[in-house]
This record gives sequence, structure tokens and C-alpha cells, in this order.
Amino acid sequence: MSVPEIVMLATGVVGGAAALLVVTSRNVVHSALYLVVTLLAVAGVFLVLGAEFVAWAQVLVYVGAVVVLLLFGLMLTRAPIGPTGQANELGRALPLAVALAVFVGLVALIATSFGGETIELEHVTPAALGEVLYVAWALPFMTLGFLLTLALIGAVVIARREEGEGPLPEPDPDEPEAAEASPPDSSSWPQRQPEPAPDEREVSA
Amino acid sequence: MATSVFALEPLWLALLLQALAAVLLFLIGALVVGYLEHKVLAHMQDRLGPMEAIWHGIGQLPADGLKFLQKEDIIPTAADRWVFALAPAVAVVPGVVIIAVLPFGPGLWLTDLDAGIFFALAASGVTVLGTLMAGWSSANKFSLMGGLRGAAQLISYELPLVLAAAAIVIQAGTLSLPGIVEAQHGFTLFGVPMIYGVPHIIGLGLFFVAALAELSRPPFDMPIADSELIAGHMTEYTGMRYAFFMLSEYAGMVILSALATVLFLGGWYPWPGVGLPEGAAGMVLGFVITFAKILVLSAIMVWLRATFPRMREDQLQRLSWSVLIPLGLLNVVLVATAKVWF
Amino acid sequence: MAAPSLPGSGLLKGLRVTLKTMLSPATTAQYPHVKPELPPRTRGVIALMEENCTVCMLCAKECPDWCIYIDSSKETVPVEGGRTRTRNVLDRFAIDFALCMYCGICVEVCPFDALFWSPEFEYAEVDIRELTHEKDRLRAWMDTVPPPPPLEEGAVPPAEIEAGIAAARKEAEEAAAKAKSVAEGGAAAEAQGPQIDEELFARLVAEGTPERAARAKAKAAFVKAQKQRAAEGGAPTAPAQGEAKAGEAEAQGPQIDEELFARLVAEGTPERAARAKAKAAFVKAQKRREREEEGGQ
Repeated sequence: MSVPEIVMLATGVVGGAAALLVVTSRNVVHSALYLVVTLLAVAGVFLVLGAEFVAWAQVLVYVGAVVVLLLFGLMLTRAPIGPTGQANELGRALPLAVALAVFVGLVALIATSFGGETIELEHVTPAALGEVLYVAWALPFMTLGFLLTLALIGAVVIARREEGEGPLPEPDPDEPEAAEASPPDSSSWPQRQPEPAPDEREVSA
Repeated sequence: MATSVFALEPLWLALLLQALAAVLLFLIGALVVGYLEHKVLAHMQDRLGPMEAIWHGIGQLPADGLKFLQKEDIIPTAADRWVFALAPAVAVVPGVVIIAVLPFGPGLWLTDLDAGIFFALAASGVTVLGTLMAGWSSANKFSLMGGLRGAAQLISYELPLVLAAAAIVIQAGTLSLPGIVEAQHGFTLFGVPMIYGVPHIIGLGLFFVAALAELSRPPFDMPIADSELIAGHMTEYTGMRYAFFMLSEYAGMVILSALATVLFLGGWYPWPGVGLPEGAAGMVLGFVITFAKILVLSAIMVWLRATFPRMREDQLQRLSWSVLIPLGLLNVVLVATAKVWF
Repeated sequence: MAAPSLPGSGLLKGLRVTLKTMLSPATTAQYPHVKPELPPRTRGVIALMEENCTVCMLCAKECPDWCIYIDSSKETVPVEGGRTRTRNVLDRFAIDFALCMYCGICVEVCPFDALFWSPEFEYAEVDIRELTHEKDRLRAWMDTVPPPPPLEEGAVPPAEIEAGIAAARKEAEEAAAKAKSVAEGGAAAEAQGPQIDEELFARLVAEGTPERAARAKAKAAFVKAQKQRAAEGGAPTAPAQGEAKAGEAEAQGPQIDEELFARLVAEGTPERAARAKAKAAFVKAQKRREREEEGGQ
């Protein structure tokens, strides 16, 4: 085996083990931290494959933003130290089946679509990547951007609790509803700002 | 373009030297900037600061380190042991890793990544993971609040930081840090050799403000907030683990100052168009110039700390989302337009 | 509000203030290396001018902390051709500085100028009991009492001092007249005049002792000599005896254990502290000698 193959295997094993720990850990925060390891391992795989830029993007977006947001959300809502109860009432059988099915499906798909073809490892420069993204695949890229913007706007619309629209939670009697028209003052500002939107975008991405 | 002085044979020797150099640079940078902060802050407060250790307190931080070593390593009973113990390391490692891509002079970098600036920004974003881990695992509500604030702050300020850097990347046409320095060396503004910081004054401001917030430096130190959160995520830490957090803060100052130096202030060249002598003399001179720029930027960070009171959490968020990010987007558009135009 | 200020100018103003502060010298005092310049009336430690104490107990009574301990005994003084008189002798005078709150009431209340403030403050101890300064130590602090600040230009001197000076002058004139009449001469008048041992004073000043301390010592020597004379009965008839006493005082020199002093200074102890310690040692030694003499008798 060549050096890249060994490294690839090692990162794969680490990532896989961490992924297993993500779903078996009894502590949600631990799960999130194992997820960090998994995502870093994936970045490592990208590195081995020569996709340097994608690897750093993986770190920046997934480790630096998505997991941080995940942890942020966990800690904001419930962050008991120590094991938490069973997260899923359906037991282990159904998730296991779904996971296995996805795994087998993906492996089969990748194996059949590339067949015995071997691809030479080559260093993908950011310039080459930019060429592909912004020239060859410019339209799909822009469509994706458009889609994400739509998702963002949708999130803003959902987050805005306008009167008489949609299934509203119990209105807070202390909160003046008339504040809608006035510029957000500092006290009510965090609730009214469409902050969660970019988070959701990144999660969905 | 010059190649790294660490491009040696055999590979294992090069790697060993690189690791050594990274750790050494990390420690020296953190200690020098820490000393700078002690002294500048003291003089701005009409004090002298450390004066006893060796000469004018120059040995204060190593002495503090020795003291930290002797301190009892306390882990709270209710804490999550493993996460608690790992958090300081998670806070320190990104700093050491980023050092590897920073150019400190012509050829004085450990490795030249194609996407160097992107790597540096990505790794600096990981630092907050240490803050979050420490905040959660301490089993202390102040620590948890500190961790949450740190995370919220990082998410808000990562964007302006990246946007400001993106404008420079567009200008320079490369993501490599030494590449940006070289591109800047050949840059002229209306025929006059000029650093990027002048036409990119908006970007420089954005980058600096976002860097302050990312480092949780005053006036954006709400995650630490000694007077309300009792040092936030560091509340429960003692001894070496605490020292690691301090070290990562000072090293963070060095790293972000170094990035600003490379992006906006011309890197190791005294001024664009002004060359350096070839060989070792140029390297030494380049290193001195780079470090001088880093120290000036760090001193400005300390200056801001000495002057401004801490902002409120909502003010911080508002500043980022309704001022800095729109400004950053505008900046990118302007720079891209100008780049295509000229 | 004057002209509308630019937005953000407040921030710049703040930056200017910190920058200015940084560029101006710091106010920090490098204490152990540089001694503080304390005002003359600093309340550092209380010194006792033992010779002035009449054991009136006012200080001990007024002390809010009751930290002044005074023991005294009566001594009969035979008066030639009259009834024997009794005199209070100060056996112990101690101030517990662990209790003292430095209110200065004792200094204020003392009617005989026996207590003084000294700016000396470096007398921390490891053992709290050591903070009870006995008579010798309190006397030693006297060396560090600075002279009182001079009167303002053209100020009228206090009435009692005027009266005292007038009385002293009158006395001196009388003594001079008397001396003239006796034809024994200026020696006695000179000795009585400024009420201090001029010779010792001049020598001490020449040696570099602070003037106030030198004066105090000279005065002490003089008073001792006078007491001796009084004990030996009546007026100073023989100036030769007085001179002999002065000689004795001179032999006692600066009233310190020179050997110990030299050693301490050589060891790096600050001169003042060394002097105080040496003095304490000397006084102790003297006490022991006296006691031995008494025992011998």
C-alpha cells in the first residue's frame, strides 16, 4: 500500500469509529464532539484526495460553524452533564436498518458507477476548482445560491411571528405586538432578528 | 517566488524541524505579545507593570508559567472529566497549526498552502470549540454562559473576517499567504507603490474589528467578562490548563496580527516596491519587519482594550449583522468591480 | 453642547487619553527600591522622649485601644536641708503596635512633649509579640523624628514659646550675673544656656546625625548630667564635675553599639535600622551593667 492509501484508511477508520460513537453515545454533547472528529476525518480524506480547498471548507463550515451551532443549540436548550436518556423512542432497530440501507445503497452506487476505473490522484488547486465552479458549472452553482437564498427568506418568514399568520405559539402577554412596526429596540431585538436563518441554511447545506 | 527554508531532505527531518519551529514560534510569539500587553496596558493605566523579574519584568511570563506548573490541577467533581481536560488543548492546537502557514519573512514559512488564508481562517474558527467544551464541561453556569457567548460571537464574526479576507484574495488573485505578499509587493495605486491597507481601508477595519471579536478581546470580551461571568469558560480552570487558555489568547493575537500584516500591510517587505537583500540578511530583515508590524498591531489591540469598555451582547450582535456583514459584502462587490475595471 | 461633534470622535478622544497616559511617566512608586518621600507629619511609629516623661499617665488613659503600658515607681530624692521629695521613675513604657490604631491621641495629649510621631514605618514582625515596643525601642525611634516644620515667614511665634524664651533669657542673664559675681565664669552659664550639651551636639552634627536627633541626644546628656548634679546635691557648684559628666556622655558617644552597627551595615541592613538596633543593643547592655552595678552594691 502506498502512503496515501494508508492515510486514507486511517482517516476512514477514525472517522467511522467516531461516527459510530456519535450515534451510540448516551450524552448529546459528547455525540456532537464525536461528530467533530468525524468531520475532521472527512476533511482528512479530502486532503488525501488532493482537494485541499474542499478540506478547509469542510473545516470552516462544518467544524467551525455547523457543529458550533449544534453545540450552541444543545447548550442553550438542555445541557445536562452526564448521560441523558434514550434519545429515540423507536429503539435501535429501525435507525440501524435505515443506516445500513443507506450505507449499502451508497457503496453499491459508487462501486457500480465507477466500476473498476482508477483515478490518478492529483492536486486540485483552488484556481482549478474556481474554474469548474464558476465557469463550467456556473448555472447550477447560481441556482444553488438562489435556492439557499429562498431557504433563508423562508426561514425569516417562519421566524417572524406575525399576528394571524400560521400556527402561533401562545402569544407572550408581556411582549408588545405593536413593536412590529417600530424599529427593534435592544430588549426585544434578539427575538425579532432573523438570525437563525443562516444557521438553518448551513445545516441544510 | 522563494521556497520555504524548511524544504529539506529527508522529509522526516523537515517535518520534525517544522513541528519544532511551529511550537517555538507559537510560544515566543505568545510570550512577547503577552509581555507587550502587560507593559503597554500598565503604562496606559499610569502604572509600570511587572518590574522585578530580571529586567523591567521581562521574565514575568516565564516565571508565571513556572508558577502555573506548580499549581494544583483542579477538576470540579461535577465536571465532565474528559471534555474538561481536553478543552485547553483544543483551544491551543489551532494556533500552533496556523503558525505553520504564516510567512514571517522571505522563505520563512513552514509550508505554503495553495489555500493558506482559507486554512488559517478555518483553523482559527476551531478555537471556539475549546471555549464551548470548557464552558459546558465545567458544570458551572457562568462557564456555560461564557461558552455560549463565545460561540454566538464566533459565528457572527467569522463572516466579516472571511469577507474582508476575500476582498484581498480577489485583489491579489491568490489564496496563498506568501503569494499575497508577493502580489502586494508589485501593487501600485495610480502608479505609486502602495500597501493593500490603503485602498482596502474598509477591509482593514472590518478585519481588525472582527479579529478582536474572534479573539474575545476587549471591547468584545463578553465571553470572558471578568466582572459578570468571572472569566467565563475559564472560571473553573487552574494551573497549566488555565495557562493554556491564556497562551492561546496571546498566540491568537500574534496570528491575527500576522494575517493582517500579510493581507494589508505588505508582509515582510518594508513597503511595496522596496526590495530586501538576497539570502540570510534579507530573511533576518524580513523577519524583523514582519514582527515589528505584528507588534504594532498587537499594541493597537492592547490600546483598544485599555480604552474602551465592554460592549453589551446585543450591541455586539447588532454590530456584526447589521453593520459589518453588509459592509463586508459591499466591500467584496466594490473590490471585484474595481478589479475587473482596472 | 458646542459644535455638533463627529460621530466616533468620542472614541478617538478616549484613545487620545490612554495614549497620553502611556507617554507620560507612571506614578508608580518602586517602594522597596526607592523609599517613599513621606510628609513630615506622617504617622509611622510613635517615639518616646523618655527624659520628658513624668508618668502622668494621660496617654495611657486617653488611648482608645489601651495599648500603652506604663509602670512606674516612686523614688525619694533627698534634698539638702529640706524634706525629702518623691519623684516618679518610669520603669516601663510600652506601646503595642498590634493594637495601636495610629489615632495620635497620645501624642496630642502629652503635656510634656514626650511622645512624637515618626514617619518610620518598616517595623513589621513575624511574631505579633514583637510589635510591643518597649521603652528602649520607643526611645530609639526618637532618632527618626523629623524636626518640626519651620514657622511661616513672618508668623508670630506661639505665646508659650515666647514666654519660655524670655524666661530662659532672663534665667541665663541671672545665671550670668551670678556667675560673674562668683567669678567662676561662663562655663556654668554656657552649660545652662541652651539647655543642651553643646559639645556633644556639635560633635554629633559633625558626625552627620540629624540635627533634631543630635539635639535630643545632647539634651539627654545634659539632663542626665544635670540630674547627676542635682542628685549630688544642690546647684552646679563644680563645673569641672559637669565637664566630667559631659566627658562621660562623650565616652558613651553616639549611644549605640558601634560594633553591632558596623556589622549590620556590612550585612546590608539599612543604616537607620542598623542604628536603631545597635542602639537598642547598647541600651540593653547598659541596663545590664547598671543592674550588675546595683547588684554589686
